[in-house]
Amino acid sequence: MVFSSLFFTFIFLPVTVLLYYLLGKNLRNIVLLIASLFFYAWGEPVYILLMCGSIIINFCIGILLGRYDTSRLIRKLILILGLVVNLGCLAYFKYLGMIISTIESPVLPIGISFYTFQALSYVIDIYRRKNTPQKSFVLFALYITMFPQLVAGPIVNYNDIELQLTDRSMNIKEFCSGMRRFLCGLAKKILLANNIGLLWYEVKGMSVMEVSILMAWAGIVAFTLQIYFDFSGYSDMAIGLGKMFGFHLKENFRYPYTSQSISEFWRRWHISLGLWFKEYVYISLGGSRNGKWKLIRNMFIVWFLTGLWHGASWNFVIWGIYFGTIILIEKLFLQKRMINWPKSVRHIYSLFFVIIGWVIFEFTNLTEIFAFLRIMFGIGGNPFVNSQEIVKIRSYAFLFIICIIAALPWVNKMALIFKRNRRAIYTLAVNLYYCVLMFLLTGYMVSSTYNPFIYYRF
Amino acid sequence: MKKSNRNNYDIIENIMGMIPFLFILTMLIFHLIIPAKTFSTAEMRYLVQLPSFNIEKVLNGSYGTRVESYFSDQFPFRNFWVGVQAVSNNVLFKGFNSFNAEK
Repeated sequence: MVFSSLFFTFIFLPVTVLLYYLLGKNLRNIVLLIASLFFYAWGEPVYILLMCGSIIINFCIGILLGRYDTSRLIRKLILILGLVVNLGCLAYFKYLGMIISTIESPVLPIGISFYTFQALSYVIDIYRRKNTPQKSFVLFALYITMFPQLVAGPIVNYNDIELQLTDRSMNIKEFCSGMRRFLCGLAKKILLANNIGLLWYEVKGMSVMEVSILMAWAGIVAFTLQIYFDFSGYSDMAIGLGKMFGFHLKENFRYPYTSQSISEFWRRWHISLGLWFKEYVYISLGGSRNGKWKLIRNMFIVWFLTGLWHGASWNFVIWGIYFGTIILIEKLFLQKRMINWPKSVRHIYSLFFVIIGWVIFEFTNLTEIFAFLRIMFGIGGNPFVNSQEIVKIRSYAFLFIICIIAALPWVNKMALIFKRNRRAIYTLAVNLYYCVLMFLLTGYMVSSTYNPFIYYRF
Repeated sequence: MKKSNRNNYDIIENIMGMIPFLFILTMLIFHLIIPAKTFSTAEMRYLVQLPSFNIEKVLNGSYGTRVESYFSDQFPFRNFWVGVQAVSNNVLFKGFNSFNAEK
């Protein structure tokens, strides 16, 4: 079930909310668990068994780690067992076809990359004695399956949510603010990402000789905006839904396209994944403490894995290493010099490399990547512009402007100033805005057909 | 006096904040009340009906897909909402929406 479907918004969500609040405090976690299992089973009626298996095994591993508290060797063996089972499962379902090209890979279970990483975070946190093992099976199952973040993140570390599982406060204000956040995410997905994505879809459909330089840039910028609104919209919906049930999930995006360097971009883009790799891979390998060569090795491993996590295809690995290399260069040479660059130069530099990155991300084979880059830089002999395309790009101009404004923090900053000075008008305006949004979104959801998220592939 | 003003203000704020959720509930209730239609004259096609429960279809996922298209076909005031989308798209694409018309 996708969040941007009528069935989710108008049946699943209200029914779950009503049951959650009407059945009383003792049943809340159970209602949420059953709703989450139903949510998953709706799209994956068979692979839900795989997820349940993963929950049972990881729960048992937690209990075992607690029981053999004194023996270091046994604890280590249990940890290795946990890593092998979780990563083995992920490798089998996600990477088998990539490793052995003659075998047809199995169908990828929805959300497996996300829930496996959450389970790993639990096992490792228990091993590191950061947390005690969860004694309640229901609460552990809820941690893994909670439907707002189950299929496309944000990846919630066990340490961050442990207390909220048993004790969380709920009130109307929080509920309404969660609802608004959900609508904000829904609007990013339905109004912005889907519509701007149409331009990229058209450019991708054109033959290499047809595309002009300007059209190629317009197309890839459209994709740059589409993937941001698609994914950050999903995170907004997850955070909003969490809030409606009293959970506080961490932010996953902080205006990544305002970054002044590639290192900063990765601190603002898919924050929960970056933190996961930092916490459980980079630091485990020793981080930057053991000299330059170890740092280079560790960065290489982390970015190889970050790329690979995004999909079972080599272009994702290249994409990961591409960013790893730039970040390494920034870390070793550029950082000190960049401070002297004007702000606008730093901004253009970051956006340029991010956009080139999306070309590598979007095309699955190398020939296509190079063919498209050649058009973008005018090497292929394509015309700079043709008149038909101008009409097309102009029709998207208004949408481009809205998207760019929405990707910047200005409107939010202005709203906050307004909130401080004119509270009553602010409240009225904001609520009116969300009512109109609800109205428009219903229109779009009724009109559109099934429309899956980009990040569902992972 | 000041305190009761503050309280009233909070109540109004909460009611306004609940409007989107109340709207969702209202649509759900309308859906349950209004009998299912079989044919749409605006779209000139038969609308999807509630599929019968069948364990095989549930396991291969087609039951869920079918229920979703049933719900979107039978959505209350469907034609009105399609109109809302058309107007909004017109504004978004400034009248250049001819090539998006099939979307």
